[in-house]
Amino acid sequence: MNLQGFVIQLLSGVSTGMVIFLIAVGLSLIFGTLKVLNLAHGALYMLGAYCCYWVSSSLSHLPGSFWLSLIFAPLMVALFGGIVEFFLLRRMYNREFLEQFLLTFALILIIADLCKLAWGVDYQTIDTPWPLEGAAIWGSLIFPWYNLFLILCGPLFYVGLWMLLNRTRLGRVIRAVTYNREMANALGVNVPLVYTAVFMLGCWLAGMGGALVAPMSAVMPGMDAVVLIDCFIIVVIGGLGSLSGAFLGSLIFGLVTAFGIMVVPRLAIAFGFILMMVILIIRPWGLMGKPE
Amino acid sequence: METAMPKTNWMIRAAVVAGLMVLALLPVFMSRGSLSLVNEMLILAIAATGLNLMLGYAGMVSFGPAGIYAVGAYTTALILYDTQVPFALAFVAGPLLAALVSTLVGWFCVRLTHVYFSLLTLAFSQIIHTIIFEWYGFTKGDDGIVEIPIPALLEPIVNYYYFSLIILCVCLGLMWMIVNSPFGKTLQALRENPGRTEFIGIHVRRYQLSAFILSGFFLGVAGSLYCGFNKNVFPDYADMMKSTEMLVVCLLGGIYSFLGPTVGSIVYMFLDKIITRFTEFWPLALGLVIIGLLIFLRGGVVGFLSDRIAAARHKEREAPSDVSS
Repeated sequence: MNLQGFVIQLLSGVSTGMVIFLIAVGLSLIFGTLKVLNLAHGALYMLGAYCCYWVSSSLSHLPGSFWLSLIFAPLMVALFGGIVEFFLLRRMYNREFLEQFLLTFALILIIADLCKLAWGVDYQTIDTPWPLEGAAIWGSLIFPWYNLFLILCGPLFYVGLWMLLNRTRLGRVIRAVTYNREMANALGVNVPLVYTAVFMLGCWLAGMGGALVAPMSAVMPGMDAVVLIDCFIIVVIGGLGSLSGAFLGSLIFGLVTAFGIMVVPRLAIAFGFILMMVILIIRPWGLMGKPE
Repeated sequence: METAMPKTNWMIRAAVVAGLMVLALLPVFMSRGSLSLVNEMLILAIAATGLNLMLGYAGMVSFGPAGIYAVGAYTTALILYDTQVPFALAFVAGPLLAALVSTLVGWFCVRLTHVYFSLLTLAFSQIIHTIIFEWYGFTKGDDGIVEIPIPALLEPIVNYYYFSLIILCVCLGLMWMIVNSPFGKTLQALRENPGRTEFIGIHVRRYQLSAFILSGFFLGVAGSLYCGFNKNVFPDYADMMKSTEMLVVCLLGGIYSFLGPTVGSIVYMFLDKIITRFTEFWPLALGLVIIGLLIFLRGGVVGFLSDRIAAARHKEREAPSDVSS
């Protein structure tokens, strides 16, 4: 492998990792605070991608329609998530793990079919938005601007979330509820409201991930399944509930898939699972998590 | 209470015998298409009851039963397709290999609890799926193995139906014995409180591993049986949708009763048949059914019915005392 190929592979690994970071971190946050493993997270990501397609195509007469949809699509997903949390998930917190699992599974089926009803089964595409069309050329290196933009997004969202969790009142409340829900409740924190907020935040992030992915890959039914499993791999590697873990896990996952595909193309999918298994077996709480 | 118990047992026994008689007579007045649907239901019932050994009795939520199921199906399929080994041996090899793989997988999985256990079972089943999908030279990958030869005797659907029915009875009988043995009671104790069970001197992991292996064996039986039924096997036998289908079936019927998964598979097949007749959006309907079930019908169909029966009996006993006072 020459240097040029190496750099390209590195960049594409990081850019895949950074998009999926947004989705995985939402899954991880929801698990950390609500203690619910949200299987519908992939479906919410797909919903975000469809909403992005919908908004940007119906606003296509306006300049910067994609950027507007980048604002609206995640909000729509967050709103949907808020409704789901309020009417359904809220009844499940004291239930058994299996029942929560099946509820979120039912949501996958419902969201996927609603997307089919609304937008059909054909795949939809969005043009790469202005001003990120084309590719950056640096000597013999060619890399799409849009992917470089995605690489930039990852750390931005990481820092933003870190600030939110560690430097704001809401973040303090979320951490308190995560740490001890009864005690936080006793101290006057409105725990159900915090749950709704965290779930909506997770959904917003999944929707954002979907909207950001839309210009670089086709929006179609079934795009949710692969992402969900990738997210599982990432949050397990990093540690369920850990923000920095999700970031690190996404980077590792992106790089392992990018380089794995060059070494043994056929087993590229398996690398992620093997990594996940090794982590679960030797360090179930993940690289950055804390043992329970 | 003492007088009430035998009455319930008697009712259940009568229902089981009646159910078996209906199943045995079905081929007489059922079309071949419907019969093959019932056959599929029987196989699903074996898989779901097998899964429930681990799920309902031992409280271990596996996300990957389909991986083990596919091991059973592919073992039988490959032996029948590539060799001249008799059907009986190929049929036995499926469950045995499934149990063997379960031993390996379970050995790692029982070290974890809760969501970590579930995620590791998912990872293993995905690995099995990847192996089946990618090892083209051995498993024919995406194309699946088609037109698997089975003995001429089992070729007609009616004969295969009776074969499945016998296997179902044997499996359910075995599992009934297992869950009512001291071993089965220990598993239930373990489900209720692993910590305390360990205090009374039970080797928790060993019991969980045994449940995992037994579960895997019966999942393998279902896989092998399905392989002979369908005569084709495909990688999606091992995928997450299949696993979830089994979990839904268990929950639909009720995971805390022995016949729950069997009832669940009947209800599931009926729903599938009825809903797909009216709409192409079967997943949407299934999703709504699951949500309705979780909110209104906790404990599944069997749990719901037994609650009703208990309530009715309670009333019955209350009534005379009201009169006397």
